Amino acid sequence: MIANTKEVNDKNFNIKRSAEEIRNLSFKDHVCIGCGICESTCPVSAITLDDVGAIVRTNSSNPKLLINEDKCVLCGMCSGVCPADALTFSIDNQPISKIDSYPKYESYAEIDDDKCIYCQKCEIACPREAITIARSLPDRSKLVTGEIEVNEETCVYCGICEEMCPADAIDVDRTPEAESINVNKDKCVYCLVCKKSCPVTAIKAACRICSYGDYDINMEDAVTKGSSFIDDELCIKCGWCEGVCPTDAAKVKKPFEGTLTIHQDTCTVCGTCVDICPCDVLSFPKPSKGGEIVNNVAKDEQYCIKCGACAKACPVEAIEVQITNVDYTPTKSKSWIAKFEALKN
Amino acid sequence: MPKHIVSGLKYLATIELKKKGLTQQKIAEELGIDRSTVSHYLNGRNLSWNSIDVAKTMTQLCPKDFLILTNVLVKNAKKTQKIISICQSKEFKADVLDSCIGCGLCVDLCLMEAVSIKSLKANISPIKCCGCLICQEGCPTNSIKILEVNNDREYQRS
Repeated sequence: MIANTKEVNDKNFNIKRSAEEIRNLSFKDHVCIGCGICESTCPVSAITLDDVGAIVRTNSSNPKLLINEDKCVLCGMCSGVCPADALTFSIDNQPISKIDSYPKYESYAEIDDDKCIYCQKCEIACPREAITIARSLPDRSKLVTGEIEVNEETCVYCGICEEMCPADAIDVDRTPEAESINVNKDKCVYCLVCKKSCPVTAIKAACRICSYGDYDINMEDAVTKGSSFIDDELCIKCGWCEGVCPTDAAKVKKPFEGTLTIHQDTCTVCGTCVDICPCDVLSFPKPSKGGEIVNNVAKDEQYCIKCGACAKACPVEAIEVQITNVDYTPTKSKSWIAKFEALKN
Repeated sequence: MPKHIVSGLKYLATIELKKKGLTQQKIAEELGIDRSTVSHYLNGRNLSWNSIDVAKTMTQLCPKDFLILTNVLVKNAKKTQKIISICQSKEFKADVLDSCIGCGLCVDLCLMEAVSIKSLKANISPIKCCGCLICQEGCPTNSIKILEVNNDREYQRS
């Protein structure tokens, strides 16, 4: 008889059936958003979504998902419909997202490096910490030029210039009989504060920007260079990066369209949904004055992926999530089409 | 004893292939046995009629029992497939419903290697199918219907 094997590793697991081909389903708990789409899709009812609200809020060591390996037939449907790619199904080590006959969501998140100015707004906004923007700043000494000179015959090594310098560019050694003054020209920005504050007028300095303006600077030296990286495993295509990007460099396509409704009259403002939302869509509104009690939950639907995790976790059913459109690649399998269509409600 | 029954099955297969007009050499190659053994079978020499009786009874069992018994006696998937495909006198056809999810359980269960997955749907070869219903029974979505379409092939039991 053909039996599945299950390997459990902390909160993650692999279920495998090795016969004609090796079928493997792997679950990564830290990627799971607790939406429960897999549970309602599984054709053999092998998946149970645990109490995700309690798990997230108590930082529990339990996994969000339980799969009965004796019931699982390794069809891969849960992996196909998982909007977070927490479940990955592969045949002979090839994930079904790479196999044409299997349908998959039409969704993406991309950052165009030609447009990106490496401001890191997306990195800070990303609710999943999936974005890394690495940047190298221009050489400051190439952006300001000028001349500075200390007349050591006049200088009394009082150290006033060192204390005044905002760029930390002056070093004065005040050891008696061994005094010296040194200006680091890589740090100096020719602001002339030292010159103005010197009590004995020992410093001569001139800023070339003042007389020649920007013409003195090679514009290529002023550009911040960098690279962007989106961790596909963590990204859930919520659109925060696109929303905060000042240069239209980030583009996101979500797999679902739909609506999110909060019934404020039923809501008890327990905050489970706020804690659970993978996209930072739900929040407590800021009180207008100190000490005011917040009595509702606010939403920023622009970034909602309509996964329905909040609605599942809400203890009083105050949230309704409706999916009106699902964008997925074509497949010949009627049963798979039916499961993708069934996500609409 | 199991060995003798396997010989009985090979005898029945030899007779079947002879009826189809295969030469002794071809029959030997097909069944993976010596040509002299084929000759013995066809000339009725050194035969254990008792074993042949048991083998004949096996072919008359329901397809699943015939297959599983043969498999346990022969202990070799390819040889089992050969004997069953020669000695199973019924013909089957499979209807796979659109509810098939492409889980491939039937592929792994089928001892005849008659099932493959095409476009996320099971595809069952009527030529290889022996009608054992193991796939139909194992299907998690009840998507397979095996139908007997002919129980009167060339081979007539005596």
